[in-house]
Amino acid sequence: MSLSARMVVVLTVVGLISGTFLALVGTMTEDRIEMNRQSEIQKAIIELIPETESSRKIYEEKSLTVYESLDENENTVGFAVYASGTGFQDVITLMYGIDPSISKMRDLLILDQKETPGLGAKIADEESFLRFWENRNCENPLALRKPAVDSPEKLAPSEVNAITGATISSEKVLGIVNSSLARLREIKEEGKLSSEGGNVN
Amino acid sequence: MSTKKSLSEEYLKGLWSENPIFKQLLGMCATLAVTNAVINGIAMGLATSFVLIFSSVVISSIKKLIPNQVRIAAYIVVIASFVTVADRFLAAFFPPISKALGPYVPLIVVNCIILGRQEAFSSRNSVGRSFIDALGMSSGFILALLILSSIREVLGSGTFLGHQVMGSWFKPWIVMILPAGAFITLGVLLAIFMLIETKTRKRSA
Repeated sequence: MSLSARMVVVLTVVGLISGTFLALVGTMTEDRIEMNRQSEIQKAIIELIPETESSRKIYEEKSLTVYESLDENENTVGFAVYASGTGFQDVITLMYGIDPSISKMRDLLILDQKETPGLGAKIADEESFLRFWENRNCENPLALRKPAVDSPEKLAPSEVNAITGATISSEKVLGIVNSSLARLREIKEEGKLSSEGGNVN
Repeated sequence: MSTKKSLSEEYLKGLWSENPIFKQLLGMCATLAVTNAVINGIAMGLATSFVLIFSSVVISSIKKLIPNQVRIAAYIVVIASFVTVADRFLAAFFPPISKALGPYVPLIVVNCIILGRQEAFSSRNSVGRSFIDALGMSSGFILALLILSSIREVLGSGTFLGHQVMGSWFKPWIVMILPAGAFITLGVLLAIFMLIETKTRKRSA
């Protein structure tokens, strides 16, 4: 066999074997990876809206997914919103719980972020950031409190705390929340939140 | 190779005299980026070892079939396959670690330690020797990541493997878990290794 033919044959064979091998590994791990993602979301929904008995996905679009959370009588107790957007360094993925009328923020969770360790990464920290998001009034867009205060009682009902030294990361989170809230209202007005159908409670 | 080393020497050279991090200064990207916590360092070390050992065995066993002109392309395909396996495995069974390592697992493909060992060793030695060599290099790599990440986690977060080891008086040096801390720690460690090396060489001379 000539050299060039051998080169083509060897590379093709190596590629084919690797490809088959990877396809096998891919199918073997696929379900588990999807399962991990789902269970992470389920866990987050219950953490955000503790009275959730069951939940279902009711709306999905790019960088926004809405889950409806139901209690044991199948009444809507709130929505869990899964949203993502650009942070200071990379995409921030977060989830928050909100009451059915979209006026009160229940709680916020950061699922994925790659902000500066020790500074922006504090957005995932309960003590310095997340606890200031509980029970916020979000009929109007939320605002950032600067300079930061040390306890949630010192904030106005529609304010959230900034992180000292990481204002940009705090602003990015706020931006993702505010824009997804606005979008959520639009979707609701369009009647696409399917809960609007049967049970309005 | 003019003089054949014994198998134990083949293994031990990866730990000390040819340590991939402290002596060859290879694979710096992964080394500097993921050593901000011990668990990440260990996971990266194990993932890289898996790729290195399997690639070395596969490549040393097919080395005679691969024409010289396309060897790098063939090596990279083999290496990339094992990296993808490692990546999927971590995502399926250890999601938190997979998240923490982020893009650095796929980047093992371009880790110079792996391609370097294939070029310098596996393509010229038997399967057995290549396996031992890969094992030694992996151990050296894990050892180096372990030292680096222990120093950085203890000083940067006050914890070791997530357990608090420093008292409440200790204020974490944030710089240690930032990129600058990686360079500072590595620099100091390299200086120490060079010092030990020069001392021992003087003594044996």
